[in-house]
Amino acid sequence: MRNLYLWAIALLLTAPFMVVLGVSVGASKNIAFPPKALSAAWYNELLTEAEWLASIGLSLLIAFIAGLIATTLALAINYVLWCTGSGFAKATFALGLGPFMLPPIILALGASLFWAEVGWYGRMEATIVSHGVFFVTLPLVIIARGFASLTDEVIEAAQMMGATSSQLFRTIVFPLIAPYVFTGFALVAIISVNEYLIANMISGFVVETLPIKIFNNVRYGYSPVVAAASMLFVVLTVTILLILSRVTDLVALFGTSKDT
Amino acid sequence: MMRSASYGSRLIGGLSFGVMAVFFVIPLIFMVIVSFYQPDPMGFYKVDFVWENYRKFFSSFYYTVSLRSLYSSALGAILVVAFSFPLVLFVSDLSRRLQLFWIILLLSLMCLSEVIIGFAWLILMSESAGIPRFLEWLGLWENPRSLSPSFGAMMIGLVFLGFSIVSLILYPSVSRRDRRLEEAAITLGTPPAMVFFKVLLPTFRTSLLSVTLTMFVYLLGVFVMPTMLGRPKDWTMTVIISDKALGDANLPLGAALAVVMLLVTVLVLFVSAFLTRRRTA
Repeated sequence: MRNLYLWAIALLLTAPFMVVLGVSVGASKNIAFPPKALSAAWYNELLTEAEWLASIGLSLLIAFIAGLIATTLALAINYVLWCTGSGFAKATFALGLGPFMLPPIILALGASLFWAEVGWYGRMEATIVSHGVFFVTLPLVIIARGFASLTDEVIEAAQMMGATSSQLFRTIVFPLIAPYVFTGFALVAIISVNEYLIANMISGFVVETLPIKIFNNVRYGYSPVVAAASMLFVVLTVTILLILSRVTDLVALFGTSKDT
Repeated sequence: MMRSASYGSRLIGGLSFGVMAVFFVIPLIFMVIVSFYQPDPMGFYKVDFVWENYRKFFSSFYYTVSLRSLYSSALGAILVVAFSFPLVLFVSDLSRRLQLFWIILLLSLMCLSEVIIGFAWLILMSESAGIPRFLEWLGLWENPRSLSPSFGAMMIGLVFLGFSIVSLILYPSVSRRDRRLEEAAITLGTPPAMVFFKVLLPTFRTSLLSVTLTMFVYLLGVFVMPTMLGRPKDWTMTVIISDKALGDANLPLGAALAVVMLLVTVLVLFVSAFLTRRRTA
């Protein structure tokens, strides 16, 4: 009964992607499953056509910088909270939880109005900054767990030996929380690469990221290249998470450890 | 432990607060302001102070749309939690290796674009590939037709989208639960199926309720599933807002609708916080 349920859910969760995989390696120009003949033509088109390559490059660039912004911000907020524990720091932390709780359309519309007023509407920098700020929540929570895992003895020892606060941060704190920071960065980067609505409302008509391109393609008649592009996403996302699972203990990070 | 509030940490604190305020809070405030402006067919908007945009919300069309959004989000949230709670319970008792497999699977799905998931289901429900074709092959369906767009297809998309998120939110508390309660119940002769209803459901009542509300808010904001898998009459508020803002270039109306949605969201979050607070108090 238990195993049956687990298998059924696992099947349901993966089935859509099996079909997409099938379509992406099929030779037929129409969407068909199961494929009658195999071909790599769609992947070839995806990775050689300038239009698709441009979208892939844009998405990766945005994701990388947005990831840096979000993790830096999350690290700064957590560091100040850890150093001072002041009400102001707590308020900033709470503010950082906000974007995750609001429907993205509200953030997207607010941001697009804001950037229009600032004069950056339709620019890639606007998308990068908004992604960086709106996706701060996950690294914020994850890095907070890193700071919670620091034991007072280590810090006190370093302080007693005369470490300044910047030395303390560089030699003790940062190395210990680095895995958490990296996990946060990777998650923001993945989410940013995959995000559609905010990117579309801020600068979608100029900066066509991969999800926007896929969405537009699906809307106006689609070819199996879209399936190939989707598989690229799936592979990218799963690969990064697999690497992540080597770097950090994901099971502990998401709950089983009793350290909280 | 003594930690000095040095000059540097104050500076960093001020800066990070500033960034959050400028790029997160100010856009929201500005959106509220724009919702009182007049639409301008030639540009973005005309500065003004009118209630006109809000009055439009209470016209029957937007009113119906929002009621429908509330209905589909509520139904979706309940379904998501109903499916994912048993899964999380089962997964939390698996070996560590298998737990890691499930976490990676759920994390992948959580991160994966709505666009990709929507596209995958679109194919899965199409005539030429996927479920209709499979049923034809089984001999169950003579003349298969595409299953989307339809309300059902949209709901499947919504549930699929929310499933990984709810599972990952529930996972920590479920995996750290006190298993002695269940063992005691079984020792005392409760049938395993009843343990679920008599022990586990009551224990997690508040967290289930709060995660349902979180999911409700999340599903209110989903954009891609209704547009890809639903019929125009299934379109939710999010789609209409985006349509007004981008399609009709009526930003003030879009902003007003978004403000109403923001108010509903904040209300739901307050209720959720109140429910969790009461338990801990």
